Amino acid sequence: MTSTSVEEKKRGRKAGSGEMYTWHEGMDWNPVEKVILERRSVRKYRDEQVPEKLVRRVLEAGRFAPSAGNSQPWRFVVVRDRDMLDEMEKYVRLRCRVLKFMLDWESSPLGRLSWLLAQAYIRLMPNKLHPIPFGAIRLIADGKLKLFHGAPTVIFILEDVRGVSKPQVDIGICGQNMVLAAHSLGLGTCWVGFVELFKFGTKWKKKLGIGWPYRLIEAIALGYPVGRPDGMVARELHEIDWWEGGRKRTVF
Amino acid sequence: MFYLAIKEILTIPTYNDPGTCRAGRVVIDHERCNGCGDCALICPGACLYVAGVGKDRKAYMIDKAVPDCMSCNDCAAICKRGAIRAEHGYDFGGFYKALHRAEMVPPRNF
Repeated sequence: MTSTSVEEKKRGRKAGSGEMYTWHEGMDWNPVEKVILERRSVRKYRDEQVPEKLVRRVLEAGRFAPSAGNSQPWRFVVVRDRDMLDEMEKYVRLRCRVLKFMLDWESSPLGRLSWLLAQAYIRLMPNKLHPIPFGAIRLIADGKLKLFHGAPTVIFILEDVRGVSKPQVDIGICGQNMVLAAHSLGLGTCWVGFVELFKFGTKWKKKLGIGWPYRLIEAIALGYPVGRPDGMVARELHEIDWWEGGRKRTVF
Repeated sequence: MFYLAIKEILTIPTYNDPGTCRAGRVVIDHERCNGCGDCALICPGACLYVAGVGKDRKAYMIDKAVPDCMSCNDCAAICKRGAIRAEHGYDFGGFYKALHRAEMVPPRNF
C-alpha cells in the first residue's frame, strides 16, 4: 500500500469506504446515507417469518426516536399472525369494494350519481382521495394490490392524541427510524396508510386497541424481500429558496 | 402569495382525463429487457405486464390513458439490467398541480 492511499484511507477518501462523522467535498456515501438513499418500498415478501429478536431490535430504534417535548406519543402493535393478517386484508378489500362501488364513476353501476358523490367527497377529503390513493382503492378492490403485500410481520403505529405539539410528525419520525434500521438489518419495509380503514371496524378497534386516546395512523409491513429491490433511483429536484447575504437565490 | 390561480384551486381534475392529468410514465429499453417480470411483480400501480415468448418476452406498460404509475422508480431499482426507468413525475393539474419541481435526477454527492 502506497503512502498516499494510506493517507487517503485515514481521511476516508478511499473509494467506497465512506467514513462516518466527517465530510469532504464529493466523498463517497457513508453507510447511513447509503441506507437512506438505497431504501425502496418493498412490495413482494418471501414467505419466511422474521425472527422475533430482529423485530424487537427494529422496535428499539423506534423507541429512541426524537419527539416533541420527549412526549413519545406512540404505541406499537405487532401482528405476526398469518390468519389475522389475511383477515385484515380481506376486511380492507371489502371496504375498498364498497368505496369503489360508491365513488369510481368509471365502473360503478350508480353512474352519474357516483360521479357526483366522488366530486363531493374529493372536495371534502382532497388528501385521502388524491388520484394516487383513489387508484389504489380500485386496485385493492380488484385484488391487484394486497394491503400488506404478503408481509409476515406488521407493526401498527398508534398515535397518542394527547402528545405534545404535533404528535403525527413524531409518529413519522419514529416510523422512519424503524424503517431505516430494518433496512440496514437486511429487511424490507413498506408504509401502509390504508390501515386507517380499521377505525370503521368495531372488531379491529378492539383488537388493535384503537380508542381514545389512541388513533391508528400508519402501519409498517416488515419481511424479507423477494429479489434485490434496493437501489438508488432518480427523483424530482425540488426548488429551494436560499437566503444568504441579504439576497435570495434559487437552488435545486 | 398564490402559486395557483383561484380557478386551479377550484378545479379538481377528472382523474381519467389525459387532457388535465399527467400520470407517471416508464420507458422500457427492449434491447436490454429479458422479460424476467420482476418489475411487473412489484409495481404498486399494476402498470407493467410481461408478454411474448422466448426471446420476444418483454415488459410493457399497460395501455391506459391515465395509468396508476406514480414514478416511484421501484421498477428501476429492482431491474438487474437497467432496462427500465421512470421518465417523469406525475402531475394531476388543477388543485393537485405539482409546484416547484424540476427533472428527475439520481442522488448527488456534494
